[in-house]
Amino acid sequence: MSEATPNLWVICAAYNEAAMIGQVVTELGRAGYQVVVVDDGSADSTGQVAAAAGAHLVSHPLNLGQGAALQTGIDYALARGAEFLVTFDADGQHRVTDVPRLIDALQRERADFALGSRFLGATHNVPRLRRWVLHAATAFTRLTTGLELTDSHNGLRAFTRQGAAAIHLRQNRMAHASEILAEIARSRRRYVEVPVAIDYTAYSLAKGQRLSDSVLILLDLFAQELTR
Amino acid sequence: MIAQVFFSALLGIVFLYAWSEYRRSPAIAVLSLVTALAGLYFVWVPDDSTRLAEFVGIGRGVDLILYTWVGISLIVILNLHLKLRIQLEMITLLARSIALAGARAPRAQASGNSTPVPDQP
Repeated sequence: MSEATPNLWVICAAYNEAAMIGQVVTELGRAGYQVVVVDDGSADSTGQVAAAAGAHLVSHPLNLGQGAALQTGIDYALARGAEFLVTFDADGQHRVTDVPRLIDALQRERADFALGSRFLGATHNVPRLRRWVLHAATAFTRLTTGLELTDSHNGLRAFTRQGAAAIHLRQNRMAHASEILAEIARSRRRYVEVPVAIDYTAYSLAKGQRLSDSVLILLDLFAQELTR
Repeated sequence: MIAQVFFSALLGIVFLYAWSEYRRSPAIAVLSLVTALAGLYFVWVPDDSTRLAEFVGIGRGVDLILYTWVGISLIVILNLHLKLRIQLEMITLLARSIALAGARAPRAQASGNSTPVPDQP
């Protein structure tokens, strides 16, 4: 896939992920992808581990949040001529084998955005509470953006260069996932959903969002509307 | 009379504050203006405030004015929050520029070269 898909960059936003980031970068590197890790002001050795594993390393001088880190990674990859960009969580919950499926979908459907969905059959062990929260978030996203999606908060996504250039994230923290979808809707470019697997582990669940975070996300989205 | 002048002065300051904020946050400015104007009206026509207070179930007109003042305070706090967000956005842009200027490609790291990766078009 990497030979057939020139200039594909995988972007990992990482904060205190020294335990997993080396394995994630190594697996992506073995598949032939260029990897840029944005170390978001980690207090541990995330940056050194990612660099030693072969990633391009961009280090925020302070912790800004996952949304800010993804935008930094997008800017970096676009500046290096990326034709396809993939966002990939640093906690090891995504599968490298899903990356070519996203790119295939982009090319086959002539879309600019391919969004991973854990609810299209590839993931079966979503914790119950998380499933409810995600369904509520998806309903909210459908209501506010009009996008027909089944999973609104999946970190595995692929963009064409043109699609990535249409994304301008202002939400530094958790609300960035909703903002990406709002940007996709605003761009009026074609999007497609692709079944992907999420491997829930004790580590990724501990790193994941909590129910209370959904309130903060709504407040952040509301505040952004007031300053638009 | 003293209380009326005092509250009018305070609401006048809120009015000017809202006016100055209009370009930056129109929604906040309009909310503050409407609230300040309502407050001024009720300070000088307390009978109406009492009638309105009874209508909405507050009881006394003076309580309505106090509630209005609390409302203004909340709006000002919201505005300060929005200003902090704007500051954070500027800090983010600055931090991103610093990070991108100091980015390291794999080969440069392996050789211990500290030269930043040049941008490509």
